[in-house]
Amino acid sequence: MFSAIARVFRTPDLRRKLLFTLGIIVIYRIGVFIPTPGVDYGNVQQCLALGNTTGGVYEFVNLFSGGALLQVSIFAMGIMPYITAAIIVQLLRVVIPRFEELHKEGSSGQAKMTQYTRYLTIALGVLQATTLVSLARSGVLFPGCQVPVIPNDSILVILLMILTLTAGTVCIMWMGEMVTEKGIGNGMSMMIFVSIAAGFPASMGSIFRAQGWTIFLAVILIGLVTIGLVVFVEQSQRRVPVQYAKRMVGRRSVGGSSTYIPIKVNMAGVIPVIFASSMLALPSMLVQFNTNDDGTLPGWAMWVSTYLSTTSPLYMAVYVLMVIGFTYFYVSITFNPTEVAENMKKYGGFIPGIRAGKPTADYLQYVLSRITFPGSIYLGLIALTPLLAIVLINADQNFPFGGIAILIMVGVGLETVKQINAQMQQRHYEGLLR
Amino acid sequence: MTEIAAGSSNNPQDPGKGDRRGILAGIALFLRQVASELKKVVTPTKRDWFSYTLWVLGFVAVVMVIVSALDFLFGQASIFVFTNQLEQ
Repeated sequence: MFSAIARVFRTPDLRRKLLFTLGIIVIYRIGVFIPTPGVDYGNVQQCLALGNTTGGVYEFVNLFSGGALLQVSIFAMGIMPYITAAIIVQLLRVVIPRFEELHKEGSSGQAKMTQYTRYLTIALGVLQATTLVSLARSGVLFPGCQVPVIPNDSILVILLMILTLTAGTVCIMWMGEMVTEKGIGNGMSMMIFVSIAAGFPASMGSIFRAQGWTIFLAVILIGLVTIGLVVFVEQSQRRVPVQYAKRMVGRRSVGGSSTYIPIKVNMAGVIPVIFASSMLALPSMLVQFNTNDDGTLPGWAMWVSTYLSTTSPLYMAVYVLMVIGFTYFYVSITFNPTEVAENMKKYGGFIPGIRAGKPTADYLQYVLSRITFPGSIYLGLIALTPLLAIVLINADQNFPFGGIAILIMVGVGLETVKQINAQMQQRHYEGLLR
Repeated sequence: MTEIAAGSSNNPQDPGKGDRRGILAGIALFLRQVASELKKVVTPTKRDWFSYTLWVLGFVAVVMVIVSALDFLFGQASIFVFTNQLEQ
């Protein structure tokens, strides 16, 4: 194993990519600790020390920004606006025909879509920055904390803060794209990965302190089992065999090979879980905005906070159902059987026993919808683990093993390791994984 | 092969056969189809699974150590820089 690592660093372009990625990570972490102008750093630290953060929504967003949100630093919003924008642009393909056209156009259309994603990111960035600043100003961000987070809240300072936070978002977006281009792995998921990894030791430590050795070890064990399970499912795929007809192109014969279309059991990845969580976070966010000055809640908010809190059975049921729904939705967007069938027909490929064209598309759709069902249930169960953990051992919302955190960690880890492996095989015929 | 032959084949994977029956029978058929598709899923071999899991664990651990070290460093630095300026 160690000789393999040594070989990684002896491969020049791989070494360059890894170091580049590391450099970006360093810059990202520096930004997390630089407070936004206008914020009183000392007061924020004092409020953080109280440990009385709002929980729920912010914990979720805070997880993705690697603790930057509650520090109100220049990278407070993290990569979240970019992810949201990317998901929205993907989803808009269903609604807006122009987006679908662009998608089919190939790389030039893709570039245009990326450009739209960036504009949308800036819009979302401004929106979230405004929300964050107003939360910090009114003291909702740190309830029970008496010292003001923003001592001088004149309109100019507020504008400056919003501008800085938005610029921070754009900067992170750019860094993410640079990682995708010149580094290892997908920049966007790399950023989330780093953020989650940053919060991990702290939340492990808090479990250790609160629960003692036995539960700590049990948690570690459950974690290892979950990681193994996630790796197993991520690697499982249904292989639909495809046969390519042999034909002559000029003087060479082309094709005649048999391959397969891999249909992963979990084709949708983490996106449905992220989606369902952020959708379900909306009601409790509304509650927080509508809390009266004396701390009481209006009638509907009372209902929401009783029945839609993260530990209620109703919340869990809705959560799982939403994850299943979004999984189907997302898979139907990302994998288009008709398109795949068309392409196969164009290059003389067919599934043995199935006619080309529409029957092939129908068959692919059939397999896809049957395979996605267990996949979606798996996603829902994995997503539930942290909620169950809260009930069982009173861990906090960021329970490290389970849910989004573990899916992202394993997903990004697998992707990156595989990419490094492929790069090495290009040069040495012998990769990391033997 | 004609259209009829393709349509009336006794292929168990013929899509849309459950539509004409009751809802419960439809669900049962769907679950049976899910099970039969699941049987065709290729899972990683024990060896692959093991080595992937190990590499993922190693990768996660390394990133975690690096990020924690960076965080400690920058956290100390920012406390030093910003509290000195703001509180005196």
